[in-house]
Amino acid sequence: MRTQAGLRATVGALAAIFWKGIKHYTRYPGNFLLYLALPFLFTFMIFGMGQFVGGGNAASNFAARTGTSNILVYEILGSAVWMTSWVVVEDVGVALRDEQMKGTLEQNFLAPINRFTLLVGLSLCDIVITTGIFFIVAGVTIAITFPSGFLGLFGAFLALLIGLVPLFGIGFLFAGFVVKFKEPYVFTQIINLVFATLTGTYYPVTFLPYWVQLLSGILPQTYVIQNMRLIVLENQTLVSLYGSFFILLVLALAYPILGYAIFKQIEKRASVTGEFSKY
Amino acid sequence: MNPVEVQSLSKTFVTKEGPLFRKVPKTLVAVDSINFSVPKGEIFGLLGPNGAGKTTTIKMLCTLITPSSGDALIGGFSVVKNQQKVRENLGVMLTGERTLYWKLTGRENLEYFAALYHLDPSYAKKRTDELLILVGLKEREDMLVENYSTGMRIRLSFVKALLNEAPVILFDEPTASLDPQSSRLIRDIIRDLKHKGHAIILTTHNMEEADELSDRVAIIDHGRIVKLASPSQLKEKVKSSDIIEIEGRRISEQMTIALEGFSEVSKVVVSADDPSEEKCSLRIHAQKGKEVLPKILEFLVRKQATITKVTFIEPTLEDVFIAETGRSLRD
Repeated sequence: MRTQAGLRATVGALAAIFWKGIKHYTRYPGNFLLYLALPFLFTFMIFGMGQFVGGGNAASNFAARTGTSNILVYEILGSAVWMTSWVVVEDVGVALRDEQMKGTLEQNFLAPINRFTLLVGLSLCDIVITTGIFFIVAGVTIAITFPSGFLGLFGAFLALLIGLVPLFGIGFLFAGFVVKFKEPYVFTQIINLVFATLTGTYYPVTFLPYWVQLLSGILPQTYVIQNMRLIVLENQTLVSLYGSFFILLVLALAYPILGYAIFKQIEKRASVTGEFSKY
Repeated sequence: MNPVEVQSLSKTFVTKEGPLFRKVPKTLVAVDSINFSVPKGEIFGLLGPNGAGKTTTIKMLCTLITPSSGDALIGGFSVVKNQQKVRENLGVMLTGERTLYWKLTGRENLEYFAALYHLDPSYAKKRTDELLILVGLKEREDMLVENYSTGMRIRLSFVKALLNEAPVILFDEPTASLDPQSSRLIRDIIRDLKHKGHAIILTTHNMEEADELSDRVAIIDHGRIVKLASPSQLKEKVKSSDIIEIEGRRISEQMTIALEGFSEVSKVVVSADDPSEEKCSLRIHAQKGKEVLPKILEFLVRKQATITKVTFIEPTLEDVFIAETGRSLRD
């Protein structure tokens, strides 16, 4: 038998998990279409509510409070990041739960790969899916409504990539909860709605009470959304935003370590109680 | 050292039972200090009814469940301390057809798992070809598994366990739900693996299969190994008594209890063939069967039972199990 060892073996396993995920996305296309539609639907809903509450002054109030009159791009950037965050936080845990219910999770755990490789493989697939969603949703909107900001999309993309790393840490944490409690949507849907409220998805976080802003400050989406808007709508450079990028990098280090440590603890406990094969 | 060494392996589950907020912890001993070893080139059968501890044992051996105490060495590596190494030395087929990705093709499934077992990609393709041919799925390799029949899925699941050519292979009910032809194919492959020197652990409900394939059999009940020997040795032990099979109608539980009270009868096991027509069969273990038979028949007829067939049968592993535990393997 010819086997691979070390880094080649890990890369081979990661690639297999990645392609398996991509094949599943393409063979179950409904989710992808949902993730594409939701940012637009939420944006239009917020837009309608703003018109209803603000009346004739809605647009001027918005401009005064956000510093931009481009409501659509402002809101769609928030929506696109929220949807990306939703996919990342939900998908790793849901994928594990899905495999647990189908019986394939045990098959993966029987193989001589470590759990981190498995989680990262699932995450890699989500990176491609989410960045695809981001480019389609934000790219199309900016190209049509704000072409001069299109170049900023690439800076925004970099902000998103850095922001994805801590989000995967949060995803690992929820994957652990899913193994333990087996109700993925209860956790992820509540937390995703909390994220939308706290991270400035549809309004600046400065409108939140001070103690809530402290919570916003430890969430990576807050910085990703803020940086994207500054880059696309106000032509800020990546260098000028180094402070918030530094915080994002710290979060990118802290969340995966914390998330994986908690996942490992729950997984260790699950192998004692036999949770992997329970529905 | 043997490829499989199981040393005082135990597993206790603690569950909480009762109404909400008044749940009481309950301890269940699933596996109770079992010991066995499997040398190279041996098929070791694990027999027992549902809930006897077979699957828990298998799952401890393949590192899915952590033992409460004791240890097992697979290829010399501890299932407690060297789990990664244990997995490298193991091929596992767990029961059920839902161990595959239904939205992937047969080939994609095998190549996916080959990558998880770190097989070199070009070798993985070659190995996948070999295995698909082995179980007659080469023609259907590009079909999604969701379109496979149950038998095809089980055959694919079976060869998945052979991908990494591990020295130790665990098969949990490998022929469940298979037609006779496919079952024969799987049994031939298992025999071939044995001749190639693999140590094989097999769990099955199929007594004939266990008898035919296993070099040694462990009968497990309530988490303990109650007998461990070759099938012929085990059957020899129950040959000291005769086994009478009686088929009939309207044989009540009270009658079987009364039959167990006969001094010559050691065990009576009932199986309902067709409850709607009150058809059932009795398997009676008795000393001097031919002498006691008229007495048994006279008793049943007097109690209004209808006898349709009486047979003296050769003991099977099922009878060994009944003799040891007092109940049927299918209970």
